[in-house]
Amino acid sequence: MDTEQKQTFDLEALRTKLASTTGRQYWRGLGELAENEEFIQYLEDEVPQATRSMGMYVDRRQFLTLAGAGLALAGLSGCRFQPQRKIVPYVKMPEDMTLGIPSFFATAVPSLSGTALGVIATTREGRPIKLEGNPDHPDSLGKTDAVTQSLLIGMYDPDRSQTVMNQGEVSAWKEFYSTARDAFARQRTTRGNGVRVLTETITSPTFAAQMKNLLVQFPEAKWIQYEPEGRDNVRAGAIAAFGEPVNTIYKFDQASRILSLDADFLLTMPGHVRYAGDFIKGRRVRRDTKDMNRLYVVEGMPTITGANADQRLPLRPSEIEGFARAVAQGIGVDVGGTPVPTFNGDNAKYLTALIKDLKSAAAGTTLVIPGDFQPAPVHALVHAINAQLGNAGKTVLYTDPVEAVPSDQLADLKTLVVDISASKVDVLLILGGNPVYTAPVDLRFSEQIVKVPFSIHLSAYEDETSFLSKWHLPEAHFMEAWGDIRAYEGTTSIIQPMIAPLYDGKSAHEVISALIEEPREGYQIVRDHYRSQGVITEDDFNKILHDGVVASSASKLRLVTLKPGAASAVSPAIAKPSGSTLEVVIRPDTTIGDGRYANNGWLQELPKPILKITWDNVAVISPATAAALHIPYDKESASNTPTAELTVRGSKITAPVWILPGHPDDTVTLTLGYGRERAGSVGSGIGYNAYNVMFSDTLWNTTGTLEGGKGSLPVATTQHHYLMENRDLIRVGSIAQFTRSSYDKERLSPDDLEEQDKNEKGKSHVVEERPNIYNLDEYKYPKDPNNAIDKFGAYSWGMSIDASACIGCNACVSACVAENNTPVVGKDEVLRGRAMHWIRIDTYYASDAAQSDAYFVNPKTYFMPVMCVHCEQAPCEPVCPVAATIHSHEGLNMMVYNRCVGTKYCSNNCPYKVRRFNFFNYANHHDVPVRKLLNNPEVTVRGRGVMEKCSYCTQRISLKRQQAKQIGVEIKDGELVTACQQACPTDAIVFGNISDLNAAVSKLKTEPHDYALLGELNTRPRTTYLARVNNPNPEIESEASQSEKTRGDQQQRG
Amino acid sequence: MASTINTNPPAPGNDPTEGLITGEHTYETITDKVSSIVINQRKQPLTWYVIFGGAFIMLNVMMATIVHLLFKGIGIWGINIPSGWGWDIINFVWWIGIGHAGTLISAILLLLRQQWRTSINRFAEAMTLFAVACAGLYPLLHTGRPWVAYWLFPYPNVLGMWPQFRSPLVWDVFAVSTYATVSAMFWFVGLIPDLATMRDRATNPLAKIIFGCLSLGWRGSAQHWQRYEAAYLMLAGLSTPLVLSVHSIVSFDFSVGIVPGWHTTIFPPYFVAGAVYAGFAMVILLAIPTRALYGLKDFITMKHLDWMAKIMLTTGLIVFYGYLVEVFYAWYGGDKAEMEMMHNRMFGPYGWSYWMLITCNGFAPQLLWFPRVRRSIPMLFILSLVVSLGMWLERFVIVTVSLTRTAIPATWGYYTPTVFDWSMFLGTMGQFLFLFFLFIRFVPMIAIFEMRDLLHKSHHDDTNGNGHGVNGHTEAAPIGTQTTIPAGAGE
Repeated sequence: MDTEQKQTFDLEALRTKLASTTGRQYWRGLGELAENEEFIQYLEDEVPQATRSMGMYVDRRQFLTLAGAGLALAGLSGCRFQPQRKIVPYVKMPEDMTLGIPSFFATAVPSLSGTALGVIATTREGRPIKLEGNPDHPDSLGKTDAVTQSLLIGMYDPDRSQTVMNQGEVSAWKEFYSTARDAFARQRTTRGNGVRVLTETITSPTFAAQMKNLLVQFPEAKWIQYEPEGRDNVRAGAIAAFGEPVNTIYKFDQASRILSLDADFLLTMPGHVRYAGDFIKGRRVRRDTKDMNRLYVVEGMPTITGANADQRLPLRPSEIEGFARAVAQGIGVDVGGTPVPTFNGDNAKYLTALIKDLKSAAAGTTLVIPGDFQPAPVHALVHAINAQLGNAGKTVLYTDPVEAVPSDQLADLKTLVVDISASKVDVLLILGGNPVYTAPVDLRFSEQIVKVPFSIHLSAYEDETSFLSKWHLPEAHFMEAWGDIRAYEGTTSIIQPMIAPLYDGKSAHEVISALIEEPREGYQIVRDHYRSQGVITEDDFNKILHDGVVASSASKLRLVTLKPGAASAVSPAIAKPSGSTLEVVIRPDTTIGDGRYANNGWLQELPKPILKITWDNVAVISPATAAALHIPYDKESASNTPTAELTVRGSKITAPVWILPGHPDDTVTLTLGYGRERAGSVGSGIGYNAYNVMFSDTLWNTTGTLEGGKGSLPVATTQHHYLMENRDLIRVGSIAQFTRSSYDKERLSPDDLEEQDKNEKGKSHVVEERPNIYNLDEYKYPKDPNNAIDKFGAYSWGMSIDASACIGCNACVSACVAENNTPVVGKDEVLRGRAMHWIRIDTYYASDAAQSDAYFVNPKTYFMPVMCVHCEQAPCEPVCPVAATIHSHEGLNMMVYNRCVGTKYCSNNCPYKVRRFNFFNYANHHDVPVRKLLNNPEVTVRGRGVMEKCSYCTQRISLKRQQAKQIGVEIKDGELVTACQQACPTDAIVFGNISDLNAAVSKLKTEPHDYALLGELNTRPRTTYLARVNNPNPEIESEASQSEKTRGDQQQRG
Repeated sequence: MASTINTNPPAPGNDPTEGLITGEHTYETITDKVSSIVINQRKQPLTWYVIFGGAFIMLNVMMATIVHLLFKGIGIWGINIPSGWGWDIINFVWWIGIGHAGTLISAILLLLRQQWRTSINRFAEAMTLFAVACAGLYPLLHTGRPWVAYWLFPYPNVLGMWPQFRSPLVWDVFAVSTYATVSAMFWFVGLIPDLATMRDRATNPLAKIIFGCLSLGWRGSAQHWQRYEAAYLMLAGLSTPLVLSVHSIVSFDFSVGIVPGWHTTIFPPYFVAGAVYAGFAMVILLAIPTRALYGLKDFITMKHLDWMAKIMLTTGLIVFYGYLVEVFYAWYGGDKAEMEMMHNRMFGPYGWSYWMLITCNGFAPQLLWFPRVRRSIPMLFILSLVVSLGMWLERFVIVTVSLTRTAIPATWGYYTPTVFDWSMFLGTMGQFLFLFFLFIRFVPMIAIFEMRDLLHKSHHDDTNGNGHGVNGHTEAAPIGTQTTIPAGAGE
């Protein structure tokens, strides 16, 4: 203000200024008088309001105008999140909508390959906050999967595209419509010759009708469906076997012997939620169980399906066809003149035993399932095998296709590319999908799309395709727009919007409608379609909306007959490795799929099953291959994972190499979905892009070379150690052991039997030398003498987790995140060991101690979901200096966030390590208002510096308790479910009141194979586990080697 | 003062005061020597400025770290799940351990009538205070929400909440705060006669006022002396159990937990021994440069260093025994988790730290059996450094190595400190040195009056043999009146 500034005064100007003013003037200093720049700056810094009043004078009238407008606008924004159309609630009518009381609506979400998963959306005050399965939906039956649970964060994603863009400039729907309608009008003269519509796989009847209408108006136009997981192989296989593209659905609950040929039906196949539930139905082991189904899995990359197998055989994907042929020949299918490969050693033993087992089972009780990524001839072979085994019509059903128009997607896409390069395409309307990113690299789609004079891309994000299209249109999320969609077996659901579009998005239905007819709203389009289908009255339509499914809309069952010679078709062989090459296998990612969920923080942070990796994709190879390629491996730390360069036909990618036991040798598995350039702030620039080595002729299976020594990268994992180190964590036994011990089932669990066997054989064991200081039976529920019910007459909450039923699919983890406002922490924090999931799926490898190699070649993989077990004598409680973690009289170990000062002692003292700490302000790290709409209002958003953990969904307990109290009843068993339990597709998690001896959970706790994790610590956990019971084939595994023992001297990071 | 309680003549041929003051010293020279460091502020050695400057910079690094920590959260450190504690608690225990020697020297050696404590007790006590100040920062800052850390104290509040008295962390609060309070009182009470000397000798008027206030009106009257001695003795009695209790309770932080590697009954005694061990190493580390810097070799003699080395050797053996017993019980107890914990300590990913620990704390101190090593200043200095490192490693092995490998292998993790762990740790060292160098410049670092008493005694012994209460009385009893008051002749 002083000396320096005085020098800048221009006295002359000051005089002029003074002379030019009239009336009395006041000023605080000469600086103000001169309106000196620096003074104004100074004033602005010191007294911000002052400059505004200096620069912009607002009088009383103006102020009132502005204030009024502001208030009105504020009111408008309040209306924003209400759906404009009346939608029908599932349980409660809209007039019931009360602040603080959630409403539930049935709808459906797109799952794999265009099929639907029916859900019930929970909305609070007009905001959808949680999705649960719809019990009436055939795929869901009330269950969900990890991806579905994570979809809502995608809707509240601030990165979603918000405006119409024309060649990089912000535009508007009006402008787009006027331009596009003209373009389409011009095309009428050529009967739509230059029009191409590119979509993903469409099962929507409404959309199909709209497209039909479009093709009537533009007969020369073409509709191309393409998505990477388009199931071309499945369709081609059906055509090869039956001459028509029938849809195959499986009845796992009817099958006693199941063979999966590279089919990951528990996680990445349409219908997987239903399949998982059906599969586990045949494996639940209870007191009187005598038999269970047996799963054989022959696969490459270890999947959760392989981990659930009783007998898994690792084979390279190129060997699967030969194996299928050998099985077909073995059971008596005529495989024609095609040579059948011979298998040696363990593989031969496996094959022989498998064939014997399949043949000895009663007709129609077995099931063979081919993988979607296996070529068509494998599918044809399997159809023949199923026919031979009498499974068709029993465990394997054939129906009309679910897709509106089944097509050879890749061939259509190739044609499109040819048409574009021949300048035949004037208008390219891309509705959804991201072909620039997902098309095989040799099609050079990115170079083609720019040649189209009028290209339009409707998508939720301004992605790679949007960037190269002339127009980008923001797509309404499926939670924001009307539509319909079919399940894996054809049942149709109507998609109801839960919220008005947050951004300026429209659905594909609306865009098509606006382009070729009088624009209609989404609701009108869907309603009109169903009216034309005979749903005339509003009541009928409302019933569909209410139920979430269109009654008896499943695809018609078909009785198809096998074409002669179907099993002898020869495959365009999958390239086999030779010389220095490796077999390169490409698969969709197990969390973010083909890349469509790349910007979904929940899915990015979800540890990929088996690998336990977050935020990255890796190139997976076997330990032997790593040794052969001299790729080093770091035992303890994932923070420097070696990278290698993979070359496929001249295309190169550099990827971190992950060494995974159980992966076949001479093979490298890549996953899609990463290496995105324009995914959004979460998904861009992480991982490598496997599409760069995906060629249209070899697609999922090719060959290439891998060269190590290219440096290293940090890869964030949530688990570093995969061996049980001889600890009694997951107890495993065979069904044979289980049934044999019927004389003493009250006491013995499979591992006890193992001990007993050892004793009988006179072998001593360290454990037996120790006195039994804890009588564990004494603390078993519900026998606990100190049980809270005697003292308080209250509920005693407890949980049972069936390790046999846990397939390791992550649905519980994801559901817990969505229910409990668990924050996303990001890759760096996961690297530091600070992932916040309240549940983790501990994954262990085991192998027969006698065969040390088996550990690397084909280990057993076991899953164990671990969350807070709510110890009766919790080690965390007495060590908290401020009593922030305490016991409730209902047996919950409660965390009082407000009281927590964050000493972390509770976590240190927790033997289960289930406590999570807010090292930073994770919950509000990115202060994005729209994200906060997603939060569950029943659950505290945890601030920085406090500990958190599984609460047994205490908010759900409170809600049910209140409801029960209001009407003066007890909470009934099964009425109260935790979020993880509700999502679990296999019902592996059961929660309830253990003081009610008839409750499902109490009964499970009296099962002979019930045990407490780390029970020897006398923590007396409320959550107990049921031992995992397998059904190995004794001809493959001798009984001696069935007693699993982990190898204690090996440390291995997968 | 010891003269008033020491009525037994020392055993012949084993004069406890021999070699404790060397050189030709009178009461006057002792007073001059020690007080001149404070009085002549302009005559500080250059080294003082260098070290003090360095410490000041490090102190500011710590301050910056703390601001960053409060702003961002404790995530700036390397701690994680499963390793909820890291350098924060390691350093806390390390500093607390260092703090033990001071009180042990002052209180226990006083009660045991060890004359040799005289020349080192003042700065050892100061060291204790500063170490506790460093230690105290950690439990406060390691909490996720330090602004509510006061909830650990039992105080009347509207929440109607007490702390969880079963938690060792609450015991810690009591143990450490009591220890800090009693140590501070003990130190200050011991300073009073010397503060009076400084008041009398100070030329700077401000210093006169400050020392005047601090000396609480001490005039050195016989009555003062009598009460002073009683108070000092009582404080020594109070402090003595604290020496044992503080580190016992700190060890409960671990032994009460059920973490394999923590859940051990031997922790309390072996933590106390370790604390004394580390404390003496630090006293030696501070004494060696200080006596060289300020020419105090006559007061802190080789005999002092020798005896401190002997204590270090003794406590070191106890600590080593503790390590061996841990291994033995891991095997003898037969608990699988404990056995694996021990195996992991030795051969796991942090195996290096265990073997370094055994080398530093188990083997290296065995050199102290040799008198030549004990009397070699460089060897002693290096060994003290080694022991300090070893004691740090001990806590590292206990905290980190145990936490990263607990009951469920799927949860095993790894702990890596970040740059902020380093800056905090180096910062506390800066704070420690900063305070210590302020102390040696502004407070008489050796107890003047006790040195004079010692001189009297040794002189007395030399000239009068065992004539303790006979001839010596006229010289010895009125120490305060004869020496302190004339020194302040200005009055």
